[in-house]
Amino acid sequence: MTAFFVRRIAGAFGVVAGVAVVVFVILHLTGDPATVMMPLEATRAEIAAFRHAQGFDRPLWVQFASFAWNALHGDFGLSLRHGEPALGLALERVPASAELAFTALALAVLVAVPAGTLAAVRRNSVVDVAARLLALLGQSTPVYWLGILLILIFGVQLGWFPVSGTGGWRHLVLPAVTLGMFTMARIMRLTRGSMLDVLQSDYLRTAVAKGVGPFRLIVHHALRNAWLPIVTAVGIELGTLLSQAIITETIFSWPGIGRLAYQAILDRDYPVVEAVVLLGALSFVLINLLVDLAYAALDPRIRYE
Amino acid sequence: MFQRGLQRRAAPALAAAFAFATLPGTGRAAGADSTVTISQGVDPVTMDPLKRTITPTQNVSLNMFDTLLRHDRDGKLIPWLATSWKHVAPTVWEFKLRRGVTFWNGDPLTSADVKFSVEKIKDPAEGSEQGPRVNTIARVETPDAYTVRYVTFRPTPIIPGYPWVLSIVDAKYWTAHGNEFEAEHPMGSGAYVFKSWRKDEELDLSANPKWWHGKPSIDNAVFKPIPEAASRVAALRTGETDLITNVPPQYQAQIQGGRDTKLESARSVRVLFVAFNTIKPGPQQNRLVRQAFNYAVDVPALIRTVLGGHGYETSTPVPPNFTGYSAKIPFYRHDLAKAKKLLAQAGYPNGRGLELVLNAPVGRYNRDKELAEAIAGQLGETGAKVTTKVQEWTSYVNQTSQRALTPLYMLGWGDNSYDADNTLTSLFQSDARLSTYSNPAYDKLVESARYEVDPGKRQALYDKALAILHDDAPWIFLFQYDDLYGTSKRLRWHARPDETLAVDEMSLGN
Repeated sequence: MTAFFVRRIAGAFGVVAGVAVVVFVILHLTGDPATVMMPLEATRAEIAAFRHAQGFDRPLWVQFASFAWNALHGDFGLSLRHGEPALGLALERVPASAELAFTALALAVLVAVPAGTLAAVRRNSVVDVAARLLALLGQSTPVYWLGILLILIFGVQLGWFPVSGTGGWRHLVLPAVTLGMFTMARIMRLTRGSMLDVLQSDYLRTAVAKGVGPFRLIVHHALRNAWLPIVTAVGIELGTLLSQAIITETIFSWPGIGRLAYQAILDRDYPVVEAVVLLGALSFVLINLLVDLAYAALDPRIRYE
Repeated sequence: MFQRGLQRRAAPALAAAFAFATLPGTGRAAGADSTVTISQGVDPVTMDPLKRTITPTQNVSLNMFDTLLRHDRDGKLIPWLATSWKHVAPTVWEFKLRRGVTFWNGDPLTSADVKFSVEKIKDPAEGSEQGPRVNTIARVETPDAYTVRYVTFRPTPIIPGYPWVLSIVDAKYWTAHGNEFEAEHPMGSGAYVFKSWRKDEELDLSANPKWWHGKPSIDNAVFKPIPEAASRVAALRTGETDLITNVPPQYQAQIQGGRDTKLESARSVRVLFVAFNTIKPGPQQNRLVRQAFNYAVDVPALIRTVLGGHGYETSTPVPPNFTGYSAKIPFYRHDLAKAKKLLAQAGYPNGRGLELVLNAPVGRYNRDKELAEAIAGQLGETGAKVTTKVQEWTSYVNQTSQRALTPLYMLGWGDNSYDADNTLTSLFQSDARLSTYSNPAYDKLVESARYEVDPGKRQALYDKALAILHDDAPWIFLFQYDDLYGTSKRLRWHARPDETLAVDEMSLGN
């Protein structure tokens, strides 16, 4: 068990370090922040002075070494746009993003697992067709389009929900549904598929023969065994939610880390992009670790030796 | 058998899940109080008014900080903190300050605060983007508490230091607290007092009861950023906000037809153009080709079809209400036959052999990509093959800076100096960073005009310079944008050409 953890943590560290290198190189290859930040009428000398003041005129490897060393100490430098510590800017937006991502995930699971189960149990019925159609729509509808559609219907036409910003659960509904739709569709399909497999297994038939009641049969016997791929998917989906949050947070002007990332990328605000991406990589790695642990709890056959 | 059982049990849970997603709310909050909510595309990036030049940040700080002068809606300068201003010597501009003005904390506003504000921007260690605005000022003199003199390096006919956007800060407060504190806790003298700021969510301001100009009409101002244009329009329609900026033309009808919304527009100082990169080899170096392309583009048709009528054709890079504008410069009227004739003269009969790329940014200016495609289509009617290459702004602006975009590139330019100098030097002088044009005779004219103190002589120099630009045609001259805003019907406000949002100019009806 200990050896497993040491291996996993070393691997996680490698992933984060790799991400750090990739994001640094890509950022520095795709644009010069000095020309983006300075006004159009700035002269070459003024731009050069800005570049020098920010240290962008040093060789790339020197910049990387100093970035890596400082990042290890939790210092990503000052945001070029805001003039404040980049990590602080990113961290102060985590709660809003977490609130949205977990609500979206909870909503997705609450709809997807019962619906997927129902679809499997009543295979080829109207319920199944409807669930499959919903899953198809959920997976093929672009987040952007869905968000605007929900805003128009439930915000503008019906006036049920506010369309932007935060402030109470009503503000959460539209962005959470938008963000959770894709995940809901995925988990629903997976639940249905997984349940179909399990429903055909011998032990379930035995359980029916023994006279186990329908609810107990589905929840305790079938779902328990269908759980494993679903849990994996939920874990991975949390990562997807973090990346899709960029679009959702922008549409609904949700003050989260995705929106910060979006603006920082447009501005080539290196320190902020680096802080956000590394935070994202860290949380992704952490989620995967937790999923592995959950495996052991859910399936007694899995033991980390 | 177990299927029915499951169905019975699962149904309520499913119903609950769906119900949560569609639960009706209590409708919008009552709007009886005097609060205006304003939604720009982005949040201000700092409360420090001396750092950045981006419009949304400046729009917020100009409500909290006063400036020496202000432009009225026609671009005419009016007294503000300064009651008068005079060119007292070739290199000296003098401002007389209003007496009795105080910052929110009661500190009196004096010439020392003006000096502090200018010097803060001039200090290279501060890394202010506003640096270029004060680079003609050599030093600031304060002969007494209510007199300020800007001494310039050379004689200049242009009021130095952009006094209509340079915020005056409280020197005493700033010195005591430092940059970082000021960036979160500003101290101004302006119409609206800072209350709180939750980044990317909401900035709250309240009317300054002791403002020298009298307490503003609206009690509270809330700046609530909404990045996505479609969401901004939706928020306006649901009454969540009273004023939205940067309305794309396709939403015009929705806002105009809305029960509680209306459209406001102002002829912007921003011009859009297609430049020829004449310093790189290619057919664009041939003046006849450039002139032909000017005749080939039908600007009124572009404005009508792509911008829904919201634009004004221009014949020069300098907009009409700017000092230095010349009404004598003719337009290139759409004339396809003439365009083809010129191309034939240039050695490209029926456009044969002419293959050019039109570079354009996407998402930077209103309908930029659509405009580029329409222009390429119009140019194609001459027989030339013009294809568009569209790029995201960040990498695009890098390339403009290196003069790398060629042979054709689209760019917008907005300057709130109301003077021709900045535009004509930054975009066309041979050694300017953004210039892809070189003409020594032109360089000499604009350089002389920059320091010519006599208004008549100065205008004559600009008339000549603009005539050269017309003949040489380093641009396809397009149009000035009409800035579009959506507002709630209860808001009384008229849009300004310089894109500023002064809440003290607004009031609320029913």
